[in-house]
Amino acid sequence: MTIPAIDATALTRRFGDFTAVDNVNLRVDAGQFFGFLGPNGAGKSTTIKMLTGLLAPTSGSIRILGGDLQANSADIKRQIGVVPEGMALFGRLTADEYLQFVGRMYGLDRATTLNRTRELLEFMQLAGEHKKLIADFSHGMQKKLALAAAVIHGPRVLFLDEPFEGVDAVAAGTLKSMLLRMIARGATIFLTSHVLEIVERLCTHIAIIHRGQLVAQGSLDELRAGAWRVGRPGIQEGVVSLGEAKRSLEQIFLEIVGADREGNPAATAPEQELSWLS
Amino acid sequence: MVELTGPESVPGSLPPIPASTQLLAVAWLRWRIFVNGMFRKRPNGNRQIAGMVFATLLRLIVWPMLALIVVGPVAASGFFAWMAISQGHPQSLASLLLGIALLWQFVSINGLSIAATIPTFDPASLVRFPLRFGRYFVLRSLLGLMTPSTIVGCLAVLAAAVGIGVANASLALPALVVMAVYALMNIYLTRMIGAWMERWLANRRFREIFSMLMALFAVSIQFLNLQRNPMRAHGTRSSWIIAVLHSSGSYLYWLPSGFAAQAILLVKHPLAAVAQFAGLLASTALFAAVFAIRLHKQFLGEYLSEGAARSVPVQSAPREKAPEPEPAALSSPDASGAIFSPTVTACLRKEWFILRGNGMQLIGLITPLMFVVIFGMNRSFSAITSKYFLPSAIAYVLIAALSSLYNIFGADGRGVQLYLLAPIRMLDVVLAKNLMSLAVIVVQVGLAWIIICVLARAPVPISMQIATALWTVFVVAMNLAIGTLRSIQAPRHFVPGQARQLRVSPTNRTSALLVLAVLFGCMVLQIPVAIASSYLKLPWLAVWVFGPLAVAAVFAYALILRSAERLIFAARDVFAEELCKA
Repeated sequence: MTIPAIDATALTRRFGDFTAVDNVNLRVDAGQFFGFLGPNGAGKSTTIKMLTGLLAPTSGSIRILGGDLQANSADIKRQIGVVPEGMALFGRLTADEYLQFVGRMYGLDRATTLNRTRELLEFMQLAGEHKKLIADFSHGMQKKLALAAAVIHGPRVLFLDEPFEGVDAVAAGTLKSMLLRMIARGATIFLTSHVLEIVERLCTHIAIIHRGQLVAQGSLDELRAGAWRVGRPGIQEGVVSLGEAKRSLEQIFLEIVGADREGNPAATAPEQELSWLS
Repeated sequence: MVELTGPESVPGSLPPIPASTQLLAVAWLRWRIFVNGMFRKRPNGNRQIAGMVFATLLRLIVWPMLALIVVGPVAASGFFAWMAISQGHPQSLASLLLGIALLWQFVSINGLSIAATIPTFDPASLVRFPLRFGRYFVLRSLLGLMTPSTIVGCLAVLAAAVGIGVANASLALPALVVMAVYALMNIYLTRMIGAWMERWLANRRFREIFSMLMALFAVSIQFLNLQRNPMRAHGTRSSWIIAVLHSSGSYLYWLPSGFAAQAILLVKHPLAAVAQFAGLLASTALFAAVFAIRLHKQFLGEYLSEGAARSVPVQSAPREKAPEPEPAALSSPDASGAIFSPTVTACLRKEWFILRGNGMQLIGLITPLMFVVIFGMNRSFSAITSKYFLPSAIAYVLIAALSSLYNIFGADGRGVQLYLLAPIRMLDVVLAKNLMSLAVIVVQVGLAWIIICVLARAPVPISMQIATALWTVFVVAMNLAIGTLRSIQAPRHFVPGQARQLRVSPTNRTSALLVLAVLFGCMVLQIPVAIASSYLKLPWLAVWVFGPLAVAAVFAYALILRSAERLIFAARDVFAEELCKA
């Protein structure tokens, strides 16, 4: 039996009375391009923070590459890369300085750090901006830099929270090709995105979280076929008929998170609302 | 396009990262942030260069004063330590060391640690890197050592060791060793208090309670000081605080300051000295351990903010049909007979919602008034200077109130984009914000005025009251004019009441210095007028001087207000960029 890249069991996070993530079970096998979807406020970013050791779960366990995250956080963090929600860059550094710092923190020697910094800046088309402070970068440039920092040490598992948000089409294409290359070399990618077309095109496996609970998990084909595993202990693999076998991910997503069966969210609003809009 | 090379080694079989690599990387990071912050030019044009020149000039004036604040405690510490040993009062050493520790901690808690306020680096963000806890602990112990409180505290402790060594050369070496540990103990005590405060201050209610307690503490100290050490007795009595420290001598020996003092003084009895030194080491270890417990929780991913708690879905209220907009009424106040245009009214409502939800602002409003009450209750004080007490107290109350005029858009942050995009006049927005600030100032000054009139032993002359009123109008109008200019040209985004920004002033440092410069300039202006008025026996002279000045300042403000639209348009790049920062 292969060791899963990510294995979360009964993961729960509460903030006071509010349960942001409720008893989530996730299993991502090595080499999977895994899409983690959910509406706004569903618990995606909270889950990613817990999986990367930035937020302690209220209960549950997390194993990354077979190691317990709580017990071996330094070793595991060394093997993962993260582009967090807020990117967490140091605005008063240049891109060049930032990548060098990150490389050294991950234990790369000076020469390797310098080589990879140069390569990454060129790959991300940031080489011309290496003297500019990060605070003066556009949102898209910051996103590219955050991604460069997340991969500089060659992680085995990459966590990406909305990596394509604010990134132009050319840069998005570059990023996608890089991610696919990483997958081809055996890395695992855990990605959240609201752009369902991108998820549909890139991801082989998908989980959907809604109001803190995992409501669907399976391969894209399984979801398309109307079958998914509900990741809660005690509930076995269920089959729910969705009518058509071949649906787009957007239709599946809308079906699962509660919009109408035609996938038309606007139709759920009462007719009289916003009547003043032209 | 560049082809990326693959990872060179299989992760999992990687050798451990040397501690020196990571520690040096963080030191290098800190250095680059410092260098880039000091020397790297942001592409904002000439206006920022002018601002930098102005800020440099202001600092050239202010820094020597700050240097005096540093030299004072350090020199005093060395002198008192020398005096304690050479004049045969060794028990005073424990009191002196306790005094240093108390001042050190008080200054740290009050957030005067300027170096810790750099918003671009949060040491807690290092947890995302593959650090072991031991290294994280070392980094968190080292980062932020260059704060004024730590520097002054360490220098004061060193000066005390030098003072002891000068008084008795045989104590020099033990004093240096013990004082080094005592400084470390204070550093960990500061860290421990800071880390736990950060945890507690993440809760808004606790922040408000804490602000109130700090204000009450400051007020209580002043109250006790004036009760125990009245105005006329200054210089004839020694400080009651020192007296209290002296009288509690026997208890001090159970505190770290007592351990440190005894470890030095009992050097001729090695066993006793070592026992005392062990006590000091144990206290240092205790504070470090409590600090480490807090850090470890943070290291494991503790969540401090209240943000997620606020994201609890709320039941939406029953919706009412929105009234039809009346385009004609959008910019004209005349349509409904209202005093202000709908824009001003809407902005005023928004400012009011923010004000009423900000408990700390309320505390800031009340605290100066409590000081006025304390000073006013002091019989000797009010008897001597009741005539000049009114303008002095009003000036004192204005110090805190005026700073809010210098960054009126700061709390809006990205919200200013709405103002820039909406079909409204910026003049209305500026006017609304200034009106709300003005209302707060009027309430504060009015209450102070009533307090002084009630508490003054002799009635304040009517000429003085009118002169003070005109002076107040002059100062407020002038600060409104300069503050509006600064708000547009040098805005600074801040989040009111946010835990990590507690120590960050809502105005930038140049504006903060400018407030003081303008206010003190206006106060200095009072002095020759008061002297001339008294010498020439012309009680109404001040009225004739400040009356025209008040009119001129109001006129200047009106001019700035009329130009608000144009000024914001001219500075919109800096304005939007600075306020829209994350």
